[in-house]
Amino acid sequence: MPIKIAGESLNACSGCEISILDMGERLLTLLEFATIVHLPLLMDSKHCDRKNNPQTVKLPKADVGLISGNIKTKENLELAQAMRDSCDFIIAFGTCATHGGIPALANSYQSDDLLGHCFNTVGTDKADSLPSDAVPGLMDVCYALDEHIRVDVCLPGCPPHPDHIFRALQSIEKKESFSLPEKSVCDNCPASRDGKGQVKTLKRALELPQWRVFDDTKEGFKCFLEQGFLCMGPVTRDGCGGDTDQARCIMAQVPCRGCYGPVKKEGNQRLAMLNALASNDIDISSLPETLSMLRFSGGHGLLRPLPRIKESE
Amino acid sequence: MPPRFEPVIIGFLCNWCSYTGADLAGVARLQYPPNLRPIRVMCTGMVHPDLVMEAFSQGADGVMIMGCHPGECHYLEGNTKAVVRAEVISIILRDIGVDPCRFELKWISSAEGSVFAELITDFTMRMQKLGPHKVNP
Ligand code: SF4
Ligand code: SF4
Ligand code: SF4
Ligand code: FES
Repeated sequence: MPIKIAGESLNACSGCEISILDMGERLLTLLEFATIVHLPLLMDSKHCDRKNNPQTVKLPKADVGLISGNIKTKENLELAQAMRDSCDFIIAFGTCATHGGIPALANSYQSDDLLGHCFNTVGTDKADSLPSDAVPGLMDVCYALDEHIRVDVCLPGCPPHPDHIFRALQSIEKKESFSLPEKSVCDNCPASRDGKGQVKTLKRALELPQWRVFDDTKEGFKCFLEQGFLCMGPVTRDGCGGDTDQARCIMAQVPCRGCYGPVKKEGNQRLAMLNALASNDIDISSLPETLSMLRFSGGHGLLRPLPRIKESE
Repeated sequence: MPPRFEPVIIGFLCNWCSYTGADLAGVARLQYPPNLRPIRVMCTGMVHPDLVMEAFSQGADGVMIMGCHPGECHYLEGNTKAVVRAEVISIILRDIGVDPCRFELKWISSAEGSVFAELITDFTMRMQKLGPHKVNP
């Protein structure tokens, strides 16, 4: 019997679902041992009976539920709970689901500021009222999935690498255990590193890091951090290169931005990065801001609204 | 009268100076409030900010790190690391809505038993005034 897979996207961008398709030919292998019973972004299925009962969530029973995105609206919450009830196994699919992801950057603002920003721009007249019916209500903040429902497996990544998606589903089918690397991006990075102490301040990314800086003894390129560019590699979980390749951004000659979330599930990327910089004598005030170190992991209460700037009288 | 609030204070004490200083306070029978839960560490430089944050998330009302005076660290620069880390901890505490006063970094040498007792008394009283720390408000 093939295993049944269901998928839902909450506050998500559909990138995670595209990553399923990125499996290439393994998708055919996947479909030999699994059937996808529900996945609105890839096939024609709805989470309710559109015609007769559009108000009630109705999902098919499945063995595995892939949930991408975080919980920002009441609808997201209802769907997440319905998925939990209809699936035996829940995979938090992508960094949005595991740690809040990019949309959780909204947690730096109060909800009414966000709404104000969306509905009243400088060039428009002030909206009389905000839409209240036919749109789902907002939650107070963006929640990672496990803040509201029980999650069995976390598959971080923005998006997760197809290798990991395939391996996760395969191990569920074979009833084997499944684990991802618990190292940092640096652990698997080909950069040459000289050691500590030369860099005192960090540069803005207004110039390009150098690639292929050779010297007599070492080959390759010099670590971006040692070139003075912020690279989130030390505090980010490795795995974005899949089972065989090296970190994706690094190989594209760009510093890591941290999309696989913290190395340990409960970690705080900003705290760990600031600590790493400060302990290596790098002046953290040379950075224009540091909240964006949580750009992928602002859920779990890590990003909060800053105190409001008082309007001048 | 409601019972007095007894704050839970976690202290990371460096083995070489502050822990010995605390010991001296005990040997000299100095009085200070019993709210501190001391944890002996080899050096303040080994107290990762994660440990401090974890103490707060587990419900500590205050956290203190105590070590050797500047220049006297037995591992040369452990306490200078502690200073820059303390800045990081204060930044993060403020941003997650915890009063940064709940965290303090202090120097106590092995001869300063009385200073230790004073600092603990003072910090405990301040935490009592501040009231309980609410986890994830
Ligand atoms: S984790 Fe990334 S790819 Fe997946 S839904 Fe979120 S933003 Fe999109
Ligand atoms: S900091 Fe960045 S460039 Fe340097 S080793 Fe780590 S991942 Fe590689
Ligand atoms: S290098 Fe960093 S930001 Fe880039 S894909 Fe890998 S984990 Fe994500
Ligand atoms: S040994 Fe005491 S602070 Fe380093």
